[in-house]
Amino acid sequence: MEEKVLEILEEYCEEAIDYDGDNMMEEGVIDSFTVINVVSELEDAFDIEIDAKYVVAENFRNKEAIIELVRQLVEACEK
Amino acid sequence: MKTNFERIVIIGYGKATGEILKYTADRRVDYGYGMEFIEHEFHALSVTKQICEDRGIPFASMPDKGELGDYLKKIREKTLLVSASNNFLFPAALVERENITIINFHNALLPDYPGRNAPSWVIYQGEQRTGITWHYVTAGVDEGNIIIQKSCEIGPDTKAYELTETLMDLAYEGFCECFDSVLQENAEARPQGFSPERRMYRSSEIPGDGFLDLNEPPEKLYRLLRSVDYGKSGIFPSLQTEVSGARAEVLRYRKIAPEKRQEGADMLYLPFADGGFLKIKYRVL
Repeated sequence: MEEKVLEILEEYCEEAIDYDGDNMMEEGVIDSFTVINVVSELEDAFDIEIDAKYVVAENFRNKEAIIELVRQLVEACEK
Repeated sequence: MKTNFERIVIIGYGKATGEILKYTADRRVDYGYGMEFIEHEFHALSVTKQICEDRGIPFASMPDKGELGDYLKKIREKTLLVSASNNFLFPAALVERENITIINFHNALLPDYPGRNAPSWVIYQGEQRTGITWHYVTAGVDEGNIIIQKSCEIGPDTKAYELTETLMDLAYEGFCECFDSVLQENAEARPQGFSPERRMYRSSEIPGDGFLDLNEPPEKLYRLLRSVDYGKSGIFPSLQTEVSGARAEVLRYRKIAPEKRQEGADMLYLPFADGGFLKIKYRVL
């Protein structure tokens, strides 16, 4: 799963892969339009719904946060 | 460089507003004006507050229309109000004040597509080009004289949020180009030529009335889907449709090549004339 998330992230925002900080959006690494694309790809790849309440800067602060978000949503779908 | 404007107030949200804030802050050294930013609509992914903090720009959040109107009416200095991706309608009493000049960025080529959600309507109507307009604000919505316009193509797969991003980039470019002439009050603004058919798009209107009629050609359905696609921003409610007699909500869609077709629950594949498929994931309500 992690590999697929990173693959999608890399497709839309290569910089996010190397970013090791804690606030990608405020630091201008990723913008809101890229987030829309990434969310759309993640939904399709994992057949999950990422509700608007999860599309906040906190969940897109770095690649680890995105992976964690997807992990939780995939697990919730499997239950 | 000289200007009679003592203050610039920026109101808006989104990418264009962020870039305009940075540019206007950098140009303070040239003109010496004061500036501030007002957030009227909050967006979860907005970084305008951070930009203000980084550049020492006073930031105020005023979601209430009445409060914002009262605040602006109290401005006494000669002020340029920059309205960028802003849905607050300036009251006539403010627009007509001698000390206030307002410029607004509209996300279409005025006089066409005035009002709300213009990127959606141009996609839905099948336009091949659109653009942005910076214009002076008058009492009528999107009716003021045009300062500058910039245009772009609309691709066959362009979604509303992608077009919005392109338009925001154009809005920033246009702002930088006309900034000095606006500040120096020598911008060559031209009146809009209104046609009798001019139609104002309202926020309550949804392309296709929000319904995806599966009897329509897939090309038309794809246009409707793209026209309301702003990701998770909730600008429009999800499209509804009817599948085998049951009401359903469209969750997502994608144009795919035939070899990518994978059957799944609550999934439709509609064939395009070019051999591809329109994949629609739905949820029965």
